[in-house]
Amino acid sequence: MDNEIYSFALKTTLNEIQNLCPDIKNAFIFREDGEIVAGGENTPESTIVRVMDSFDGILEKAEALGGIEGIALESSKGRVDVCCVNGFYLVTVTMANADKNYVNTITRVLVPTVLKLVEKISSAPLKNESRESEPKPEIHIPETMARPTEEMSINEPTPERPKRILEPETKPELTLPEPPVNQLIVENIGGLLVPADTVRIDNETLLQWQELYKDRKIEEVEVETFGGQSTRVKVKPIKDSKFEGKGIVQMPEKIQNALEIRKGELVRVKPLIK
Amino acid sequence: MVKKRKDVQHVVALTEPITAVEEATTVNNIRAQLEDIKNHEGVVGYILRNSSSASIDLKDPTKIIDYAIISSSSIDAGQALSELFDLGQAKNVAVEGKNMKMLSFTLEENKISVFMDKNVDSEKILKKLCGL
Repeated sequence: MDNEIYSFALKTTLNEIQNLCPDIKNAFIFREDGEIVAGGENTPESTIVRVMDSFDGILEKAEALGGIEGIALESSKGRVDVCCVNGFYLVTVTMANADKNYVNTITRVLVPTVLKLVEKISSAPLKNESRESEPKPEIHIPETMARPTEEMSINEPTPERPKRILEPETKPELTLPEPPVNQLIVENIGGLLVPADTVRIDNETLLQWQELYKDRKIEEVEVETFGGQSTRVKVKPIKDSKFEGKGIVQMPEKIQNALEIRKGELVRVKPLIK
Repeated sequence: MVKKRKDVQHVVALTEPITAVEEATTVNNIRAQLEDIKNHEGVVGYILRNSSSASIDLKDPTKIIDYAIISSSSIDAGQALSELFDLGQAKNVAVEGKNMKMLSFTLEENKISVFMDKNVDSEKILKKLCGL
């Protein structure tokens, strides 16, 4: 799951870096364990494998230098730079006339930023997994997720609040936390009984939101594309367990068309608090 | 420079022993320069090798094998990647570790690696050695 997210986000980043800086001939990322994470459009996998093979000897004995931070090869017509970021090796191949500082600024800022972002996104379900191990009262969400707040209120009794007629109902909104924004990958959802105005996301994410807004119903979300399009749609938990915990949002074709997006693209999803 | 090369080739054809003497002189010059560089603060040693001999001078002899592997791997990687990406002649490879760094390059037939602390200016060392 993490690999898919990493790969998608990093591949896009690498392509953008190359668009931004055409002097970068090739750019790709591999892991310490030799797994290819992402490669730019013009870097075939066979090339990445050959590069990794070339670095084998250095990486195997890296401990002698205290672990590798970077490798730079300078040649008459260009250079190859390897930068180690959190166990990922970012390789860039540039022309001889490329502005080294500019390339470094782009690659060494953008890639680590995307890595951090992706880690943050993918760490959300992980946090929930760790919570599951803690002895807590069981919270059951019905398949339809019709009224999640009611279910929670049954299992987690909350002290009765004294009703004050004079207090306006809207007052607590002032203390409501900012709605969290989750970046999710669009996945298709189809079938005869699929409502066209409803997206499905992880149960865990819904529970997290519910924890944040204990007394509020979360029945709708705002889906925003990176192109700036947004829409309000109903939300329900993902039914199919094989899609759980993958950081995806299942979306009917109608909504995808309205937002001009397709399967595999990233969108921002945030709860709408009533 | 081209002219000089021609002269050398000519001499090779006529009198081979003189070339051997020249080579030895070059190696001796490099070694002398490396000895000088080794005295710089932060430089922990060097590896110099060619087809007929190898000199290793490291302050910590327990790391000789590791350093020798990194040295030869980096020079090989430099050549392989230059070919792979069509980057022309490999000039030098710098490997930066968390504690140490290594600079490798080829001078004529001699493969040289200099090991130093992270804060040492490797560019300065490269200029000094390439100015031979």
